[in-house]
Amino acid sequence: MRFNSKLLVTALLCAGMIGSAIAAESAKNDKGAWPQHTPDGQPQVEGYWVTVVYGMGCLQNPRAGVGCLEEGEEPGRANRPKPPKAASRVVDTPDGEIPYQPWARTKQQYLLSNYFEPTRPEFLDPQQLCLPLGPVRQLTWHDVHILQYPGYVIFEHEGGHVFRLIPLDGRPHVGSDLKLWMGDSRGHWEGNTLVVEVTNNNSKGRLSRAGDFASDKLHVVERFEFLDANRMKYSAKFDDPSTYTRPWTFGFDMKRAIFAENNPTKDDAHYEQWEEACYEGLTPVDYSLRSDRDHK
Amino acid sequence: MNSRNLKAIKTALYASLFVVAAPMFGQIPRTADGKPDLSGIWQALNTANINLQDHLAQKGAPAGQSVVEGNEIPYQPWALAKKKDNYVNRAALDPENKCYLPGVPRITYIGLPFQIFQRPDLVTMLYEHAHANRFIYTNGAQHPKGPIDWWMGDSRGHWDGDTLVVDNVHFNDQTWFDHAGNFHSEDLHVVERYSLLDADHINYAVTIEDPKVFTRPWNINMVLYRHVEKNFQLLEYECYTFDLEQYYP
Repeated sequence: MRFNSKLLVTALLCAGMIGSAIAAESAKNDKGAWPQHTPDGQPQVEGYWVTVVYGMGCLQNPRAGVGCLEEGEEPGRANRPKPPKAASRVVDTPDGEIPYQPWARTKQQYLLSNYFEPTRPEFLDPQQLCLPLGPVRQLTWHDVHILQYPGYVIFEHEGGHVFRLIPLDGRPHVGSDLKLWMGDSRGHWEGNTLVVEVTNNNSKGRLSRAGDFASDKLHVVERFEFLDANRMKYSAKFDDPSTYTRPWTFGFDMKRAIFAENNPTKDDAHYEQWEEACYEGLTPVDYSLRSDRDHK
Repeated sequence: MNSRNLKAIKTALYASLFVVAAPMFGQIPRTADGKPDLSGIWQALNTANINLQDHLAQKGAPAGQSVVEGNEIPYQPWALAKKKDNYVNRAALDPENKCYLPGVPRITYIGLPFQIFQRPDLVTMLYEHAHANRFIYTNGAQHPKGPIDWWMGDSRGHWDGDTLVVDNVHFNDQTWFDHAGNFHSEDLHVVERYSLLDADHINYAVTIEDPKVFTRPWNINMVLYRHVEKNFQLLEYECYTFDLEQYYP
Protein backbone atom coordinates (compact mmCIF):
# COMPACT_ATOMS: atom_id res chain seq x y z
CA MET A 1 0.00 0.00 0.00
CA ARG A 2 1.38 3.41 -0.93
CA PHE A 3 0.64 6.57 1.02
CA ASN A 4 0.20 10.02 -0.39
CA SER A 5 2.62 11.80 1.93
CA LYS A 6 1.01 15.24 1.46
CA LEU A 7 -2.38 13.79 2.26
CA LEU A 8 -0.97 12.02 5.30
CA VAL A 9 0.70 15.19 6.60
CA THR A 10 -2.48 17.18 6.04
CA ALA A 11 -4.54 14.51 7.79
CA LEU A 12 -2.15 14.41 10.73
CA LEU A 13 -2.13 18.20 11.00
CA CYS A 14 -5.91 18.27 10.96
CA ALA A 15 -6.07 15.50 13.52
CA GLY A 16 -3.55 17.38 15.65
CA MET A 17 -5.48 20.63 15.44
CA ILE A 18 -8.73 18.89 16.26
CA GLY A 19 -7.04 17.01 19.07
CA SER A 20 -5.58 20.22 20.52
CA ALA A 21 -8.93 21.93 20.26
CA ILE A 22 -10.62 19.02 22.01
CA ALA A 23 -7.92 18.98 24.70
CA ALA A 24 -8.25 22.72 25.27
CA GLU A 25 -12.03 22.48 25.43
CA SER A 26 -11.77 19.48 27.70
CA ALA A 27 -9.41 21.37 30.03
CA LYS A 28 -11.85 24.28 30.15
CA ASN A 29 -14.74 21.98 30.97
CA ASP A 30 -12.94 19.77 33.46
CA LYS A 31 -14.15 21.06 36.80
CA GLY A 32 -11.58 19.00 38.68
CA ALA A 33 -8.48 20.19 36.86
CA TRP A 34 -6.43 23.18 37.93
CA PRO A 35 -6.51 25.73 36.57
CA GLN A 36 -9.92 26.24 35.15
CA HIS A 37 -10.17 29.05 32.62
CA THR A 38 -12.23 32.19 32.27
CA PRO A 39 -14.42 32.57 29.17
CA ASP A 40 -11.65 34.62 27.53
CA GLY A 41 -9.07 31.90 28.21
CA GLN A 42 -7.26 33.24 31.29
CA PRO A 43 -6.25 30.77 34.01
CA GLN A 44 -8.88 31.22 36.71
CA VAL A 45 -7.05 32.71 39.71
CA GLU A 46 -9.72 34.95 41.19
CA GLY A 47 -9.99 35.43 44.89
CA TYR A 48 -8.25 36.99 47.87
CA TRP A 49 -4.46 36.69 48.12
CA VAL A 50 -1.99 37.75 50.80
CA THR A 51 1.75 37.55 51.39
CA VAL A 52 2.88 34.40 53.23
CA VAL A 53 5.19 36.54 55.39
CA TYR A 54 3.40 39.72 56.36
CA GLY A 55 5.16 43.00 57.08
CA MET A 56 6.85 45.95 55.42
CA GLY A 57 9.19 47.32 58.08
CA CYS A 58 12.19 46.46 55.93
CA LEU A 59 12.88 44.27 52.94
CA GLN A 60 15.70 42.24 54.48
CA ASN A 61 13.54 40.74 57.25
CA PRO A 62 9.88 41.61 56.58
CA ARG A 63 8.78 40.29 59.98
CA ALA A 64 11.01 42.79 61.78
CA GLY A 65 10.19 46.38 62.63
CA VAL A 66 10.95 49.55 60.72
CA GLY A 67 14.47 49.40 59.34
CA CYS A 68 14.80 45.78 60.58
CA LEU A 69 14.94 47.03 64.17
CA GLU A 70 14.15 44.34 66.71
CA GLU A 71 12.82 44.12 70.24
CA GLY A 72 13.40 47.25 72.22
CA GLU A 73 15.08 49.09 69.37
CA GLU A 74 12.01 50.65 67.80
CA PRO A 75 10.90 53.88 69.49
CA GLY A 76 7.50 53.48 71.13
CA ARG A 77 7.36 49.71 70.73
CA ALA A 78 9.63 48.55 73.54
CA ASN A 79 7.82 45.32 74.39
CA ARG A 80 7.30 43.90 70.94
CA PRO A 81 8.39 40.26 70.84
CA LYS A 82 11.40 39.50 68.70
CA PRO A 83 10.16 38.30 65.31
CA PRO A 84 11.56 35.18 63.69
CA LYS A 85 13.93 35.76 60.80
CA ALA A 86 12.26 35.74 57.38
CA ALA A 87 13.86 35.67 53.95
CA SER A 88 14.89 38.96 52.38
CA ARG A 89 12.54 40.24 49.70
CA VAL A 90 15.59 41.25 47.68
CA VAL A 91 15.99 37.80 46.17
CA ASP A 92 18.83 38.05 43.67
CA THR A 93 21.68 39.90 45.34
CA PRO A 94 24.29 38.01 47.40
CA ASP A 95 23.65 39.97 50.59
CA GLY A 96 19.89 40.45 50.23
CA GLU A 97 20.41 44.22 49.95
CA ILE A 98 19.17 46.61 47.28
CA PRO A 99 22.15 47.51 45.03
CA TYR A 100 21.88 51.25 45.59
CA GLN A 101 24.31 53.69 44.03
CA PRO A 102 26.25 55.42 46.85
CA TRP A 103 24.16 58.64 46.74
CA ALA A 104 20.95 56.58 46.78
CA ARG A 105 22.10 54.50 49.78
CA THR A 106 22.85 57.75 51.61
CA LYS A 107 19.36 59.04 50.82
CA GLN A 108 17.71 55.80 51.95
CA GLN A 109 19.57 55.91 55.28
CA TYR A 110 18.65 59.58 55.69
CA LEU A 111 14.95 58.85 55.13
CA LEU A 112 15.11 55.90 57.54
CA SER A 113 16.86 57.89 60.26
CA ASN A 114 14.06 60.47 60.09
CA TYR A 115 11.19 57.96 60.05
CA PHE A 116 10.22 58.07 63.71
CA GLU A 117 10.47 61.78 64.35
CA PRO A 118 9.85 63.48 61.01
CA THR A 119 10.72 67.16 61.01
CA ARG A 120 10.09 67.84 57.33
CA PRO A 121 7.18 66.85 55.08
CA GLU A 122 9.27 64.66 52.81
CA PHE A 123 10.27 62.48 55.76
CA LEU A 124 6.69 61.22 56.06
CA ASP A 125 6.26 57.87 54.38
CA PRO A 126 3.31 58.50 52.02
CA GLN A 127 1.76 55.37 53.49
CA GLN A 128 1.26 57.33 56.72
CA LEU A 129 -0.88 59.73 54.68
CA CYS A 130 -2.88 56.86 53.17
CA LEU A 131 -1.56 57.55 49.69
CA PRO A 132 -1.10 54.66 47.24
CA LEU A 133 2.00 52.61 47.97
CA GLY A 134 2.97 51.93 44.37
CA PRO A 135 2.28 48.75 42.39
CA VAL A 136 4.71 46.44 44.24
CA ARG A 137 4.60 47.52 47.89
CA GLN A 138 0.81 47.71 47.75
CA LEU A 139 0.83 43.91 47.35
CA THR A 140 2.53 43.61 50.76
CA TRP A 141 -0.20 45.52 52.63
CA HIS A 142 -3.38 43.68 53.63
CA ASP A 143 -5.16 41.44 51.12
CA VAL A 144 -5.53 41.87 47.41
CA HIS A 145 -8.70 40.79 45.67
CA ILE A 146 -7.83 39.55 42.19
CA LEU A 147 -10.72 39.88 39.76
CA GLN A 148 -10.77 38.77 36.14
CA TYR A 149 -12.98 40.24 33.45
CA PRO A 150 -12.59 39.72 29.69
CA GLY A 151 -9.36 41.41 28.67
CA TYR A 152 -8.50 42.59 32.17
CA VAL A 153 -7.06 41.56 35.49
CA ILE A 154 -8.03 43.86 38.36
CA PHE A 155 -6.23 44.12 41.68
CA GLU A 156 -8.47 45.55 44.36
CA HIS A 157 -6.29 46.21 47.38
CA GLU A 158 -7.92 46.24 50.77
CA GLY A 159 -5.39 48.75 52.10
CA GLY A 160 -6.73 52.24 51.41
CA HIS A 161 -9.19 51.05 48.70
CA VAL A 162 -6.59 51.32 45.93
CA PHE A 163 -7.08 49.41 42.70
CA ARG A 164 -4.83 48.56 39.77
CA LEU A 165 -6.17 47.84 36.31
CA ILE A 166 -4.12 45.52 34.08
CA PRO A 167 -5.28 45.45 30.44
CA LEU A 168 -4.31 42.28 28.56
CA ASP A 169 -4.96 43.54 25.03
CA GLY A 170 -1.45 44.77 24.24
CA ARG A 171 -2.40 48.42 23.98
CA PRO A 172 0.47 50.94 24.23
CA HIS A 173 1.39 52.59 27.53
CA VAL A 174 0.16 56.11 28.21
CA GLY A 175 2.48 59.01 27.45
CA SER A 176 5.79 58.97 29.29
CA ASP A 177 5.09 62.27 31.05
CA LEU A 178 2.09 60.77 32.87
CA LYS A 179 3.64 59.56 36.11
CA LEU A 180 1.19 57.66 38.29
CA TRP A 181 1.20 56.44 41.89
CA MET A 182 0.25 52.92 40.76
CA GLY A 183 2.10 53.11 37.45
CA ASP A 184 0.71 52.01 34.10
CA SER A 185 0.35 48.23 33.81
CA ARG A 186 0.17 46.00 30.72
CA GLY A 187 -0.14 42.26 31.18
CA HIS A 188 -0.20 38.98 29.36
CA TRP A 189 -0.40 35.33 30.38
CA GLU A 190 2.49 32.89 29.83
CA GLY A 191 0.85 29.61 30.81
CA ASN A 192 -0.15 30.05 34.46
CA THR A 193 2.10 33.08 34.93
CA LEU A 194 0.74 36.60 34.63
CA VAL A 195 3.51 38.86 33.33
CA VAL A 196 2.98 42.59 33.89
CA GLU A 197 5.13 45.45 32.66
CA VAL A 198 4.73 48.55 34.82
CA THR A 199 5.92 51.90 33.49
CA ASN A 200 4.97 55.54 34.24
CA ASN A 201 5.76 55.09 37.95
CA ASN A 202 5.88 58.35 39.88
CA SER A 203 7.76 56.38 42.56
CA LYS A 204 6.53 58.74 45.28
CA GLY A 205 5.50 55.67 47.25
CA ARG A 206 8.38 53.91 49.00
CA LEU A 207 9.25 50.21 48.84
CA SER A 208 9.18 49.64 52.61
CA ARG A 209 9.06 51.64 55.84
CA ALA A 210 12.86 51.80 55.82
CA GLY A 211 13.25 54.59 53.29
CA ASP A 212 13.74 52.25 50.34
CA PHE A 213 12.89 53.96 47.10
CA ALA A 214 13.16 54.10 43.30
CA SER A 215 13.08 57.03 40.88
CA ASP A 216 10.40 57.91 38.36
CA LYS A 217 12.60 56.30 35.70
CA LEU A 218 11.77 52.91 37.21
CA HIS A 219 10.75 50.09 34.88
CA VAL A 220 9.23 47.00 36.49
CA VAL A 221 8.48 43.55 35.08
CA GLU A 222 6.34 41.48 37.44
CA ARG A 223 5.75 37.76 37.26
CA PHE A 224 2.79 36.29 39.15
CA GLU A 225 3.51 32.56 38.91
CA PHE A 226 0.46 30.64 40.07
CA LEU A 227 1.73 27.25 41.31
CA ASP A 228 -1.62 25.72 42.19
CA ALA A 229 -5.02 26.81 43.43
CA ASN A 230 -3.63 28.30 46.66
CA ARG A 231 0.01 29.29 46.06
CA MET A 232 1.62 32.00 43.99
CA LYS A 233 5.26 33.05 43.57
CA TYR A 234 5.71 36.75 42.95
CA SER A 235 8.72 38.58 41.58
CA ALA A 236 9.26 42.11 40.32
CA LYS A 237 12.42 43.00 38.44
CA PHE A 238 13.40 46.59 39.25
CA ASP A 239 15.36 48.33 36.50
CA ASP A 240 16.37 51.90 37.32
CA PRO A 241 19.93 52.78 36.24
CA SER A 242 19.58 56.24 37.78
CA THR A 243 19.31 54.74 41.30
CA TYR A 244 20.76 51.21 41.36
CA THR A 245 24.08 49.76 40.19
CA ARG A 246 22.24 46.92 38.46
CA PRO A 247 18.70 45.54 38.09
CA TRP A 248 17.45 43.58 41.10
CA THR A 249 14.41 41.51 41.99
CA PHE A 250 11.79 42.15 44.69
CA GLY A 251 10.20 38.77 45.39
CA PHE A 252 7.97 36.97 47.88
CA ASP A 253 5.46 34.15 48.13
CA MET A 254 1.73 34.72 48.27
CA LYS A 255 -1.08 32.43 49.31
CA ARG A 256 -4.80 32.39 48.93
CA ALA A 257 -6.26 34.08 51.99
CA ILE A 258 -8.32 31.56 53.92
CA PHE A 259 -10.83 33.45 56.00
CA ALA A 260 -12.77 30.41 57.18
CA GLU A 261 -10.05 29.67 59.74
CA ASN A 262 -11.45 32.42 61.95
CA ASN A 263 -14.95 32.45 60.60
CA PRO A 264 -17.64 30.53 62.47
CA THR A 265 -19.59 29.96 59.25
CA LYS A 266 -16.52 28.32 57.68
CA ASP A 267 -17.68 29.86 54.46
CA ASP A 268 -15.08 31.55 52.27
CA ALA A 269 -17.29 31.57 49.20
CA HIS A 270 -19.32 34.46 50.58
CA TYR A 271 -16.43 36.57 51.84
CA GLU A 272 -16.59 40.15 50.60
CA GLN A 273 -13.95 42.85 50.78
CA TRP A 274 -15.47 45.81 52.57
CA GLU A 275 -14.57 49.47 52.60
CA GLU A 276 -11.31 50.43 54.26
CA ALA A 277 -11.35 54.20 54.09
CA CYS A 278 -7.90 55.31 55.23
CA TYR A 279 -7.60 58.93 54.18
CA GLU A 280 -10.95 59.93 55.63
CA GLY A 281 -10.73 61.29 59.13
CA LEU A 282 -6.97 61.23 59.16
CA THR A 283 -5.36 63.71 61.51
CA PRO A 284 -4.24 66.65 59.37
CA VAL A 285 -0.81 65.74 58.17
CA ASP A 286 0.97 68.85 59.44
CA TYR A 287 0.42 67.63 62.97
CA SER A 288 2.50 64.59 62.19
CA LEU A 289 5.56 66.74 61.89
CA ARG A 290 7.72 66.92 64.99
CA SER A 291 8.64 70.51 64.22
CA ASP A 292 5.05 71.67 63.80
CA ARG A 293 4.71 72.68 67.45
CA ASP A 294 7.98 74.58 67.31
CA HIS A 295 6.83 76.59 64.31
CA LYS A 296 3.71 77.90 66.05
CA MET B 1 -57.46 58.83 -1.13
CA ASN B 2 -56.44 56.28 -3.72
CA SER B 3 -54.84 53.00 -2.85
CA ARG B 4 -51.40 54.09 -4.12
CA ASN B 5 -51.32 57.06 -1.74
CA LEU B 6 -52.56 54.87 1.08
CA LYS B 7 -49.76 52.41 0.40
CA ALA B 8 -47.19 55.23 0.38
CA ILE B 9 -48.48 56.51 3.71
CA LYS B 10 -48.38 53.01 5.17
CA THR B 11 -44.81 52.57 3.92
CA ALA B 12 -43.78 55.90 5.41
CA LEU B 13 -45.44 55.03 8.71
CA TYR B 14 -43.67 51.67 8.87
CA ALA B 15 -40.37 53.35 7.99
CA SER B 16 -40.78 55.97 10.71
CA LEU B 17 -41.78 53.27 13.15
CA PHE B 18 -38.57 51.42 12.34
CA VAL B 19 -36.43 54.52 12.80
CA VAL B 20 -38.00 55.31 16.16
CA ALA B 21 -38.11 51.73 17.37
CA ALA B 22 -34.71 50.62 16.15
CA PRO B 23 -32.73 51.79 19.20
CA MET B 24 -35.14 49.90 21.43
CA PHE B 25 -34.58 46.57 19.69
CA GLY B 26 -31.16 45.04 19.39
CA GLN B 27 -29.21 48.29 19.15
CA ILE B 28 -27.68 48.04 22.60
CA PRO B 29 -24.75 45.71 23.31
CA ARG B 30 -25.62 42.63 25.31
CA THR B 31 -23.63 40.12 27.31
CA ALA B 32 -23.72 36.37 26.67
CA ASP B 33 -26.57 36.01 29.16
CA GLY B 34 -28.66 38.56 27.28
CA LYS B 35 -28.37 41.43 29.76
CA PRO B 36 -27.52 44.93 28.50
CA ASP B 37 -23.73 45.20 28.52
CA LEU B 38 -22.72 48.26 30.54
CA SER B 39 -18.99 47.48 30.25
CA GLY B 40 -16.92 50.48 29.30
CA ILE B 41 -15.71 53.87 30.48
CA TRP B 42 -18.43 56.42 31.26
CA GLN B 43 -18.67 60.01 32.42
CA ALA B 44 -21.38 62.50 33.30
CA LEU B 45 -21.04 65.70 31.29
CA ASN B 46 -22.90 68.19 33.44
CA THR B 47 -22.44 70.53 36.39
CA ALA B 48 -24.39 68.49 38.95
CA ASN B 49 -21.33 68.27 41.20
CA ILE B 50 -21.41 72.06 41.56
CA ASN B 51 -25.14 72.15 42.23
CA LEU B 52 -27.84 69.57 41.54
CA GLN B 53 -30.38 72.34 41.01
CA ASP B 54 -30.57 75.21 38.51
CA HIS B 55 -27.63 77.52 39.06
CA LEU B 56 -25.99 80.52 37.45
CA ALA B 57 -22.30 80.71 36.70
CA GLN B 58 -19.79 81.83 39.30
CA LYS B 59 -16.05 82.13 39.02
CA GLY B 60 -14.70 78.68 38.14
CA ALA B 61 -18.18 77.17 38.31
CA PRO B 62 -20.25 77.16 35.11
CA ALA B 63 -24.01 77.53 35.03
CA GLY B 64 -26.15 74.45 34.74
CA GLN B 65 -29.68 73.17 34.54
CA SER B 66 -31.21 71.13 37.31
CA VAL B 67 -30.85 67.34 37.28
CA VAL B 68 -33.47 67.13 40.03
CA GLU B 69 -36.92 66.29 38.78
CA GLY B 70 -39.03 69.39 39.37
CA ASN B 71 -35.90 71.25 40.58
CA GLU B 72 -37.12 70.96 44.16
CA ILE B 73 -35.36 69.04 46.91
CA PRO B 74 -38.05 68.49 49.56
CA TYR B 75 -36.17 69.37 52.75
CA GLN B 76 -37.80 69.40 56.14
CA PRO B 77 -37.73 73.00 57.50
CA TRP B 78 -34.76 72.44 59.85
CA ALA B 79 -32.86 70.69 57.07
CA LEU B 80 -33.49 73.49 54.59
CA ALA B 81 -31.97 75.92 57.07
CA LYS B 82 -28.95 73.67 57.42
CA LYS B 83 -28.62 73.35 53.65
CA LYS B 84 -28.60 77.13 53.34
CA ASP B 85 -25.92 77.35 55.99
CA ASN B 86 -23.92 74.68 54.20
CA TYR B 87 -24.18 76.72 50.99
CA VAL B 88 -22.84 79.86 52.62
CA ASN B 89 -19.92 77.95 54.13
CA ARG B 90 -19.46 75.48 51.28
CA ALA B 91 -15.80 76.27 50.58
CA ALA B 92 -14.86 75.20 54.10
CA LEU B 93 -17.44 72.48 54.67
CA ASP B 94 -17.73 70.56 51.39
CA PRO B 95 -16.37 67.08 52.20
CA GLU B 96 -14.91 66.87 48.69
CA ASN B 97 -12.50 69.65 49.65
CA LYS B 98 -11.31 67.42 52.52
CA CYS B 99 -10.68 64.60 50.03
CA TYR B 100 -13.18 62.29 51.68
CA LEU B 101 -14.77 59.57 49.55
CA PRO B 102 -17.76 61.33 47.96
CA GLY B 103 -20.51 58.74 48.52
CA VAL B 104 -23.25 57.67 46.13
CA PRO B 105 -24.54 59.09 43.82
CA ARG B 106 -22.02 61.98 43.89
CA ILE B 107 -19.17 59.69 42.78
CA THR B 108 -21.05 59.18 39.49
CA TYR B 109 -21.17 62.86 38.51
CA ILE B 110 -18.12 64.19 40.35
CA GLY B 111 -16.71 64.99 36.95
CA LEU B 112 -14.26 62.20 36.24
CA PRO B 113 -14.55 58.99 34.21
CA PHE B 114 -15.32 55.61 35.71
CA GLN B 115 -15.21 52.11 34.28
CA ILE B 116 -17.86 49.42 34.57
CA PHE B 117 -17.01 45.71 34.44
CA GLN B 118 -19.92 43.34 34.27
CA ARG B 119 -20.67 39.66 34.59
CA PRO B 120 -23.74 37.78 35.80
CA ASP B 121 -22.88 37.69 39.50
CA LEU B 122 -21.01 40.96 39.95
CA VAL B 123 -20.75 44.46 38.53
CA THR B 124 -17.54 46.28 39.44
CA MET B 125 -17.26 50.05 39.14
CA LEU B 126 -13.83 51.66 39.34
CA TYR B 127 -13.53 55.43 39.53
CA GLU B 128 -10.66 57.72 38.55
CA HIS B 129 -11.57 59.89 41.56
CA ALA B 130 -9.38 58.79 44.48
CA HIS B 131 -9.28 55.15 43.36
CA ALA B 132 -12.85 54.81 44.64
CA ASN B 133 -14.51 51.53 43.78
CA ARG B 134 -17.78 49.70 44.22
CA PHE B 135 -18.64 46.03 44.13
CA ILE B 136 -22.25 45.58 43.17
CA TYR B 137 -23.22 41.98 43.76
CA THR B 138 -25.98 40.79 41.45
CA ASN B 139 -26.02 37.24 42.82
CA GLY B 140 -28.93 37.71 45.18
CA ALA B 141 -26.70 38.57 48.17
CA GLN B 142 -28.47 40.85 50.62
CA HIS B 143 -27.19 43.93 52.43
CA PRO B 144 -25.22 42.99 55.54
CA LYS B 145 -26.98 43.68 58.80
CA GLY B 146 -26.38 47.24 59.92
CA PRO B 147 -25.85 49.70 61.23
CA ILE B 148 -22.64 50.30 59.27
CA ASP B 149 -21.34 53.77 58.45
CA TRP B 150 -19.48 53.46 55.18
CA TRP B 151 -18.53 56.42 53.00
CA MET B 152 -19.66 54.66 49.84
CA GLY B 153 -22.46 52.63 51.44
CA ASP B 154 -23.30 49.03 50.60
CA SER B 155 -24.49 48.28 47.07
CA ARG B 156 -26.60 45.32 45.94
CA GLY B 157 -27.92 45.03 42.40
CA HIS B 158 -30.51 43.21 40.36
CA TRP B 159 -31.85 43.44 36.83
CA ASP B 160 -35.34 44.81 36.27
CA GLY B 161 -35.79 43.99 32.59
CA ASP B 162 -33.03 45.89 30.81
CA THR B 163 -32.29 48.15 33.78
CA LEU B 164 -29.59 47.53 36.38
CA VAL B 165 -31.14 48.55 39.70
CA VAL B 166 -28.69 49.19 42.54
CA ASP B 167 -29.91 49.50 46.11
CA ASN B 168 -27.57 51.39 48.45
CA VAL B 169 -27.72 51.68 52.25
CA HIS B 170 -25.29 51.85 55.21
CA PHE B 171 -23.95 55.35 54.60
CA ASN B 172 -22.46 57.74 57.11
CA ASP B 173 -23.81 61.30 57.41
CA GLN B 174 -20.59 62.98 56.34
CA THR B 175 -20.97 63.28 52.56
CA TRP B 176 -22.83 65.84 50.47
CA PHE B 177 -24.64 65.40 47.16
CA ASP B 178 -22.89 68.41 45.61
CA HIS B 179 -20.76 71.47 46.32
CA ALA B 180 -23.90 73.50 47.11
CA GLY B 181 -24.41 71.88 50.50
CA ASN B 182 -27.18 69.40 49.69
CA PHE B 183 -26.84 66.77 52.41
CA HIS B 184 -28.37 63.71 54.03
CA SER B 185 -28.31 61.68 57.24
CA GLU B 186 -27.03 58.17 57.94
CA ASP B 187 -30.53 56.93 57.06
CA LEU B 188 -29.89 57.69 53.39
CA HIS B 189 -31.31 55.12 50.98
CA VAL B 190 -30.26 55.48 47.33
CA VAL B 191 -31.73 53.51 44.45
CA GLU B 192 -29.87 53.88 41.15
CA ARG B 193 -31.22 52.74 37.79
CA TYR B 194 -28.78 52.30 34.88
CA SER B 195 -30.53 51.91 31.50
CA LEU B 196 -28.73 51.89 28.15
CA LEU B 197 -30.37 54.32 25.72
CA ASP B 198 -28.10 53.08 22.93
CA ALA B 199 -24.57 51.70 22.75
CA ASP B 200 -22.96 54.89 24.04
CA HIS B 201 -25.46 56.47 26.44
CA ILE B 202 -26.82 55.39 29.82
CA ASN B 203 -29.86 56.96 31.39
CA TYR B 204 -28.94 57.33 35.06
CA ALA B 205 -31.95 57.73 37.32
CA VAL B 206 -31.62 57.95 41.09
CA THR B 207 -34.19 58.00 43.86
CA ILE B 208 -33.09 59.57 47.16
CA GLU B 209 -34.89 58.69 50.35
CA ASP B 210 -34.05 59.90 53.83
CA PRO B 211 -36.98 60.40 56.21
CA LYS B 212 -34.78 62.23 58.72
CA VAL B 213 -34.00 65.02 56.23
CA PHE B 214 -36.60 65.06 53.44
CA THR B 215 -40.39 65.13 53.44
CA ARG B 216 -40.61 62.64 50.55
CA PRO B 217 -38.36 60.73 48.15
CA TRP B 218 -36.99 62.76 45.24
CA ASN B 219 -35.35 61.94 41.93
CA ILE B 220 -32.22 62.75 39.96
CA ASN B 221 -31.97 62.07 36.25
CA MET B 222 -29.03 62.50 33.89
CA VAL B 223 -27.25 60.87 30.96
CA LEU B 224 -23.85 59.17 31.18
CA TYR B 225 -21.66 59.22 28.06
CA ARG B 226 -19.33 56.48 26.88
CA HIS B 227 -15.71 57.38 26.16
CA VAL B 228 -15.03 56.16 22.63
CA GLU B 229 -11.56 57.66 22.17
CA LYS B 230 -8.96 55.11 21.08
CA ASN B 231 -6.92 53.77 24.02
CA PHE B 232 -8.78 55.97 26.52
CA GLN B 233 -8.14 54.71 30.03
CA LEU B 234 -8.61 55.74 33.63
CA LEU B 235 -5.74 57.74 35.07
CA GLU B 236 -5.44 58.85 38.71
CA TYR B 237 -6.93 61.68 40.69
CA GLU B 238 -5.43 61.33 44.14
CA CYS B 239 -6.92 64.07 46.23
CA TYR B 240 -4.52 66.00 48.47
CA THR B 241 -5.27 68.40 51.27
CA PHE B 242 -1.64 69.49 51.24
CA ASP B 243 0.79 70.75 48.65
CA LEU B 244 2.08 67.59 47.03
CA GLU B 245 5.06 69.27 45.44
CA GLN B 246 6.13 70.62 48.81
CA TYR B 247 5.85 67.21 50.41
CA TYR B 248 7.08 64.97 47.61
CA PRO B 249 8.75 67.05 44.90
